[in-house]
Amino acid sequence: MTELYATAIFLFVLFALLGSSVWIGLALMGVAWVGMELFTTRPAGDAMITTIWTGASSWTLTALPLFIWMGEILFRTRLSQDLFRGLAPWMRWLPGGLLHTNIAGCTLFAAVSGSSAATLTTVGKMSIPELRKRGYPEYMIIGTLAGAATLGLMIPPSLTLIVYGVTINESITKLFMAGILPGLVLSSLFMAYIIGWHFLRKDERPEPEPSMPLTEMFSESRFLIPVLMLVFTVIGSMYFGWATATEAAAVGVLGSLALATLQRSLTWETFSASLMGATRTSAMIALILMGAAFLSLAMGFTGLPRALATWIDTMNLSPIVLIAVLTVFYLVLGMFMDGLSSVVLTMAIVEPMIRQAGIDVIWFGIFLVVVIETAQVTPPIGFNLFVLQGMTTHEISYIAKTAIPMVGLMLLMVVILVVWPELATWLPDNIRSNN
Amino acid sequence: MNDWASLLGIPLWAWLFVMPIIFATLCFFFRATGKRLLTPVWHLLDRVYLASGVLAAVFMVIILVIIVLQMIARWSSVSFQGSTEFAGYAMAATSFFAFAYALNNGAHIRVSILLNINNFTRKWVDAYAMLIAAVTATYFARYAVKTNFMSDMLNDRTQGQDQVPEWFIAFISMFGTWPTDWGELWANVGDAWVYTPVWLPQLPMSIGSTLLAIALWDNLFRLLINGKSNIKGEAVE
Repeated sequence: MTELYATAIFLFVLFALLGSSVWIGLALMGVAWVGMELFTTRPAGDAMITTIWTGASSWTLTALPLFIWMGEILFRTRLSQDLFRGLAPWMRWLPGGLLHTNIAGCTLFAAVSGSSAATLTTVGKMSIPELRKRGYPEYMIIGTLAGAATLGLMIPPSLTLIVYGVTINESITKLFMAGILPGLVLSSLFMAYIIGWHFLRKDERPEPEPSMPLTEMFSESRFLIPVLMLVFTVIGSMYFGWATATEAAAVGVLGSLALATLQRSLTWETFSASLMGATRTSAMIALILMGAAFLSLAMGFTGLPRALATWIDTMNLSPIVLIAVLTVFYLVLGMFMDGLSSVVLTMAIVEPMIRQAGIDVIWFGIFLVVVIETAQVTPPIGFNLFVLQGMTTHEISYIAKTAIPMVGLMLLMVVILVVWPELATWLPDNIRSNN
Repeated sequence: MNDWASLLGIPLWAWLFVMPIIFATLCFFFRATGKRLLTPVWHLLDRVYLASGVLAAVFMVIILVIIVLQMIARWSSVSFQGSTEFAGYAMAATSFFAFAYALNNGAHIRVSILLNINNFTRKWVDAYAMLIAAVTATYFARYAVKTNFMSDMLNDRTQGQDQVPEWFIAFISMFGTWPTDWGELWANVGDAWVYTPVWLPQLPMSIGSTLLAIALWDNLFRLLINGKSNIKGEAVE
């Protein structure tokens, strides 16, 4: 019975605080405090600081600010132009033409940045005007961009996966490796959609691009070579076990600084802007993580997560049903919250549940990211929709409509992950480790 | 140690929670006076928030430096003891110092469905949210400071292998002691390295969480007096 009361009180306080627009990190602390005062005799304040201090000063967390910083540096370089110029010559030949630059650009930028908003802005800044100029239909430009930008969350480095890894205490390197193949599959799905459009809507095709000699193609894309090198260094060093996730992040920061210098876009202004921007974003995430750490401590005292896990266990749900239920749950949650918050908010409850059900936690992380990606492009709260609204001045409802096929593809991705779990688990199982 | 010892005859919780609320009420009813009195304070606080943000950025660079040094040390087979602990301390410092700065730059996220209904809710829901947030942050800061003091009293040392020079500890201690005690403080300092006392890396936690609490109360006062808070460029969801 206590569990029932506990759940009711937790949920009530949680929604009251979150709904009244209290900042998420602080709202979580408030809920946790109520839980501690009601269900334990432990001094809440002291327990709170002990938990928060341990979490806030942990070594694993240090990958987070560095990867954010890396993305911020590259975001402020000329990478946006270079991506379009470098990719366009190669994409012209594909059925669907330059629309593929949206997907390829997002995939590539996702490999240096962990945020989907940054991916969207960087790629969209250049590709939206260029594609419009060439007469591609607006709904395809916006829709594919909205969908593909969510790859920023999946392809390493991914802030969502770092937060997930820190919350459940799993290796970030493994999670990163797990994200690679599903990320590439998802981007091929998006590309397949563009190819399908090319053949089904023949009247909407714009004029084909003029041909370009091969030498010129290479010279146009020479700017991309340093970026590719950076991607392979960062991901490769983790895969071959040369560096931990944090060290790879440090290499990434140095590499992107070097890249920016090479492009002559590294000024004191861009440097300090990237540093201050990264400081803000990492503080934002840190506050949420602190609230979540305290909340999961409080939840642990109530016995709620364990009770729920046992309850799910007695229901004898097959993992497939559990995953289906969780998909719906996270989609609904994602309509009102951003992805990071919904991960940290629910993991205290969901983690024992999935471990009990025997679901691989690495695989679950990737599954979670796909679902959260979907939530990024579904109204009323979908972060990519807001960013795109700011960039194109279209109505949210219009942007959401253009993204519906992408939502379908992402849900298809969930099914693919369930059918072929190896997609996510094979690479992390085969990491070379030097210890 | 009593959690809410009294100060000047009034219990600490009244100082921390009741007084600011009374002050906020006064601000709302005497806006002109409040504005006149607080404007110089605001000028000062804005600088403090920014300075704290810059300090956070410095610690971000320090994380990078520590990790690069750690890699160099590993490749050249030199030992860099406690590098992971130091990186963790820098991580905590960068987070805590940046809290208030991030708040004023609209970086912290929240669910803003109610805020966006109309101008009335935009102001009053915001004020309510700030009040709740300020109380929570004050509670957080109060215990952060308490834990920090306890670590010092219990002479708590790090669990890791990290060591700091004694002179550095003494230097930081100077800020927490009277100048009359400085002679004694430095007299006991050798050139030895000792295991990091936990209070040292916890200082940013105390300072940063206190500053966050101040920033939230400050924003509440500004909202009640000026009709708008100090939070700029919040991503409106």
